[in-house]
Amino acid sequence: MKKKYQIREAVQEFGIDEQRVVHYIRNEWIAPVEPARLDEEDIARARLIVDLQEVFGVNDEAVPIILHLLDQLYSWQSVKH
Amino acid sequence: MDPYVTLGVSRTATQNEIKAAYRKLAKKLHPDLNPGNKVAEKQFKDVSAAYEILEDPVKRAKFDHGESEPDQGGARQGPSKQGPFYYETQRGGGGRYTQSFDEDLFKNFGDLFGRARAEPQEDLRVYRMEVDFKDAVLGAEREVTLPEGRKLQIKIPPGVESGQKLRLKGFGEIELHVRESPVFHRNGRDIEIEIPVSLSEAILGAEIRVPTVDGAVLLKIPPSSNSGTRLRIRGKGVGASGLRGDEIVTLTVVLPETTDADLRDKIAEWSLTHSYNPREKLENTS
Repeated sequence: MKKKYQIREAVQEFGIDEQRVVHYIRNEWIAPVEPARLDEEDIARARLIVDLQEVFGVNDEAVPIILHLLDQLYSWQSVKH
Repeated sequence: MDPYVTLGVSRTATQNEIKAAYRKLAKKLHPDLNPGNKVAEKQFKDVSAAYEILEDPVKRAKFDHGESEPDQGGARQGPSKQGPFYYETQRGGGGRYTQSFDEDLFKNFGDLFGRARAEPQEDLRVYRMEVDFKDAVLGAEREVTLPEGRKLQIKIPPGVESGQKLRLKGFGEIELHVRESPVFHRNGRDIEIEIPVSLSEAILGAEIRVPTVDGAVLLKIPPSSNSGTRLRIRGKGVGASGLRGDEIVTLTVVLPETTDADLRDKIAEWSLTHSYNPREKLENTS
């Protein structure tokens, strides 16, 4: 089984803000399989959202659209390979 | 590595200029926007490492005085510390978040690309699941109980069809069976429905309530709408929000159950001066 992190552990190890993580889960931008237990995918996705907001200046409205498009892109790539 | 050169800023650049330069480069080079592009990824790491030095006045001053060589470790730099980029967790069809798209893509393009998924042969059991017509159209999340008593949250992507399978990591597959609807019929991304209208509604026009999978909506029937007239309600068809097909309404003109004397007499009178032959085309072709 892949390693899972409590939100607090994820916050410590990856330096993501706890309130952000909670906000992301509430908005269903990340959807942990078990409640409040993040796996590698959830953490990587949360960090991408942090970059989108902090570096790219994306607002809350646009975050789900960008995630949706990226997920489609990645799934396309995995089909082509 | 000179962080000033990497970010393309002068040694006297303000913090705001540095931030702006970093953001501009990061937008272009971010690995999640350039999945698999190793050159961009390397540049992004360099740019992030450079920014980490210059954004921090203490580190910047140290560098300016030649006190420390910035480390160029392979680990991801920048605001967050280590671990894979998001795209790396999703590639090869290995990610949860991209899986819902796989079903659609598999259906539409699987043959084209002759996809050979190197799926590890895990315990491949096939379960069966009944899906409501509406859930299949709009997508839904449902809890299912496996025969062995285990409960699972299943995400049904919008637009699934009977026979489609959802992969469940570690459990096997679920084959979906979509229940028919007594009123709606699916035709690709559109939903078709037949709506009866009265004689007067057909002739004079009307605004009537029409069911859709999202609930009833008002539909304008233009005057002189014959049986077979097709009207389109945009965005009430199959698919994810924003990408949905339409609902196609086909009208059927229905006479009153009993024809009263009033109607009979008026029509008789009308037909004396207004005869028409709806079978004209038929007769001409035979």
